[in-house]
Amino acid sequence: MAKAKPLTMLDPQAPTGQNARRIADIRLDELYGYAAHVDAPYEVRGLHNLRIAAKRLRYTLEIFADVLPPACQSIADELSQIQDELGALHDHDVMIALLRLCLGSKDAGNVYEQTLANAGKQQGKGKLLLEPALVSAVLDPDAALSPEQRYGLEQLLLKQMQAREECYRKFRQHWYQLQARDFRRETLDTLND
Amino acid sequence: MQQQTSAIRAAIDIGSNTIEVLIARCLPGDLEIIEHQTTMARLGESVDNSGEISRDKFNIALDAVHEYQQLAKKQKAEQILAVATEALREARNGRDFLEAIKRETGVEVQLISGSAEAVLDYYGTTYGSGAPSDVGVLDVGGGSTELILAKNRHITWLTSIPIGSGAIHDRYLPSDPPTDEEMKATSSYLAQYLPTIGIPEAPPALIVTGSSASSLLKLTKHAFKLDVQHNRLAIEDLMRCEGLLSALPAEEIARRFEQRLERARILAAGALIIQAMMQYFHLDEVRVSSHGVREGALLAYTRFGEHWLEEVNSIAARQGRTSAEQDARDKQQQPFAEFGQDILPAYAKKLLKWPADIREQEDSEAVHKMRVASRRLRAALDAFESSADAALFKKVNRRVKKLADRLGVVRDTDVMITGLHADEQAAPDKEQAAGLHWLIDRLEAYHKQEKQALDTELQSLDEEALKQQVASCTANGAAHHGKS
Repeated sequence: MAKAKPLTMLDPQAPTGQNARRIADIRLDELYGYAAHVDAPYEVRGLHNLRIAAKRLRYTLEIFADVLPPACQSIADELSQIQDELGALHDHDVMIALLRLCLGSKDAGNVYEQTLANAGKQQGKGKLLLEPALVSAVLDPDAALSPEQRYGLEQLLLKQMQAREECYRKFRQHWYQLQARDFRRETLDTLND
Repeated sequence: MQQQTSAIRAAIDIGSNTIEVLIARCLPGDLEIIEHQTTMARLGESVDNSGEISRDKFNIALDAVHEYQQLAKKQKAEQILAVATEALREARNGRDFLEAIKRETGVEVQLISGSAEAVLDYYGTTYGSGAPSDVGVLDVGGGSTELILAKNRHITWLTSIPIGSGAIHDRYLPSDPPTDEEMKATSSYLAQYLPTIGIPEAPPALIVTGSSASSLLKLTKHAFKLDVQHNRLAIEDLMRCEGLLSALPAEEIARRFEQRLERARILAAGALIIQAMMQYFHLDEVRVSSHGVREGALLAYTRFGEHWLEEVNSIAARQGRTSAEQDARDKQQQPFAEFGQDILPAYAKKLLKWPADIREQEDSEAVHKMRVASRRLRAALDAFESSADAALFKKVNRRVKKLADRLGVVRDTDVMITGLHADEQAAPDKEQAAGLHWLIDRLEAYHKQEKQALDTELQSLDEEALKQQVASCTANGAAHHGKS
């Protein structure tokens, strides 16, 4: 998870409304800073960071709801939907990574695997896709998979990958619908209404 | 003769503390009360905790409305006028709640503004004979307080402020009985708050209504052996009440003085609000009225007919400022650091509502809710970092992050297991089910281990210390950081 952008130029003694708009501006910039990842379906970390940025902006709008225009609620609703779509995508990514780990890496080789391997190299730069404790709990060298169990997990992997494709398609469609109506400008205008 | 031709109507008032019904024969400018019942629902408590009306509270409200509907039918009431106030104005699911009430009972509840509530309060408290023509009316509700000023029996100014006995109790008086420090801090807060409302002038007399006022009057009559016909509260009476309420636990107050326990818990807050207003107006005593919104609604209907609420709204719009407008204006201008001092403890309180449910009830929903609360608190901490004491902020932030991470692991694993169970149920053959079963077994073992770690974490969590740290990390922070 990417670290939040520092909130600069805030004045603790200035009116809350003024600072709330400044924070929302920073969080909106942060969201669009990850927009390039939208067209990279297997940029797991980038899409995850986009989700976190959407969440940060949504929480900002909620925390300061009393001092921001009521129309910000519809912006928060759109962000909530983006967050849900990317959250579902992330859940599939975690499950796919876990299943690939269980099944071993011998049958790998597609774009997804490659990206996942790259993500693995990001260790230390943020939270890992799979918690080390989860990996060690699931991978038991003394308990090999039976052929039936292996078949079951392979089928589940297939299903997860198909569901992920569908999740990504829905998210991307929604994202571009928002861009078609210039969501960034709409958010700024709503904040300053 | 008039009795036979006058309509009987019922008024239901869904407030932050209580849900009440009044059934009366409605005469021009007067009422003959037939029935009055109260249900202590404390919807405001649920809204304060989660922003929503909970399922439990919804069921209590639904039962009450249903019961009142039957009562109205039994008394041959021609109409049921139902209104809802502050708790429903604030609840995120307020509209859904009212639609559900309509669906389940057929009763259409009108969500009225704070200003409309104030107009109805004025009508309700001043009808009949005896009310001075120049007077102030104060309705201390559970979630809001309405103040109306009138001259020559015409409303000249009104407001609705988001301060009520339930809200003040939940926020400032958590101990039972409340401590001296809590009582002093509340009085001090109210004394600072009242001058910011912009009340144009002090009324020569004040009528106080609402359940808190009635209960305090009842308490003084019981405790200090006052005449049962007495309907006035002197400032000395309130001070004696406060002494009693800060000396005895709510259960004892309820038992000794025939109060409902839920009411006894919030009585000190009501007393402090009334006392603060009396001191602000330099009044030695107030008159207590048991009438208010319900009577006002019945009188308004008799006067204006079916369009009663539109007329009331129109009067309110001419004279009043809604609580939302007032509150938004105040908060817009409130210094940022001070706003943080208000909301950070509220977010911490929401976070700390769940540990007991997680530890004792093995409640997976509670884990989810606490995780969401931890994320919101972290976001709020982020927002106010520049107004905080750097060292204390770091400590608090680290603590909350650790909690959030633990909650996240347990919750995410829970979601994975639930999904896999659903896949297992739908598996078309036993091979697929075998694979799923293998994975579920391992994830459940992992979940158990992580849940134990979370329980240990929660056991070692000093909730009071965390609350204190959150509250104090922005208290003097501006001086440490200044602009950044």
